[in-house]
Amino acid sequence: MHELPVVLDIIRIVTEEANEQQLTTINSITIVLGELAAVMDESVQMYFELLAEGTPCEGAKLIFEHVPAMLRCSGCKQEFPHQKSFFCPHCGGDGILIKGSGRELYVKAIDSNDN
Amino acid sequence: MEVLIMKKLLEANDKLATNNRDYFRSRGLYVINLMGAPGSGKTTLISAVAKSIDIPIGVIEGDIASSIDAERLQSEGIASVQINTCGECHLDAQVIREGAEGLSIKNGVVFIENVGNLICPAEFDLGEDLRLLAASVPEGDDKPFKYVPMFSYIDVIALTKCDLKEAVGFDSINFEKGLRILSQAPIFEVNCKKGDGVNALATFIKEKYNDFRGK
Repeated sequence: MHELPVVLDIIRIVTEEANEQQLTTINSITIVLGELAAVMDESVQMYFELLAEGTPCEGAKLIFEHVPAMLRCSGCKQEFPHQKSFFCPHCGGDGILIKGSGRELYVKAIDSNDN
Repeated sequence: MEVLIMKKLLEANDKLATNNRDYFRSRGLYVINLMGAPGSGKTTLISAVAKSIDIPIGVIEGDIASSIDAERLQSEGIASVQINTCGECHLDAQVIREGAEGLSIKNGVVFIENVGNLICPAEFDLGEDLRLLAASVPEGDDKPFKYVPMFSYIDVIALTKCDLKEAVGFDSINFEKGLRILSQAPIFEVNCKKGDGVNALATFIKEKYNDFRGK
């Protein structure tokens, strides 16, 4: 839910990279969001459109990659991604959250016209 | 041309939290981040545990406004400092360092009583050693199903106000069912007003403190 500081940080990171690499046009920014990171695409998009103005990020498209939380089956011990159900797709056993998973929150990559 | 970045967002808080951890260790302080919804009994829990444990206790109290909780604990002889966030819905690592410098205890346990909130505190590492959730019976037994980030974040649960289970129809089996999908955190059932169950939690904390000090 703290999308405002998240967006400020996105802009800071991308601007630093653009300055270091002397990039003039940022076409897109890929952000990885874990299921349990509590960050909503729509809110990030809304703040980004306001705050990117006048920065190297202005006009860049945001691409969101969502990462599910990972579960481990209490029965067969196999790991599987959370996709609506907590039941193991292999044996039907109860899945248990792997502690710390699904909290990813990072800038993965940017795409630029510059060479 | 794609440029790989791979940089964490909001990393500033994590770095400050790591600094806090080192700072607390240098003072021999074992730090507990106590979280829970408003009215879940956090302050009462601290008060009850402090009476049951023979280790120096300090408290960093976090609230949006007022110093009600810090004053209450001070009146009971428990060293406390108050942080007012002025609207921020959680404590973060930066304000904790400022608060910690207002406590003079060494070689003891510090409780950080976080802002009453079942959502946002689960996103901010403060530099603590233990994440304790005060989950109160009147809040209902379905909260682990609904507040997944918090219940998956914590290390131990104090189920408070257990004397009200029958009055509110609390289903302990359902509560544990929801919790066990997310966490192996032990549950300590307490009634802090009467002191029921507090010794077991105090013993747990003391063992953690002793392990921390390498005894």
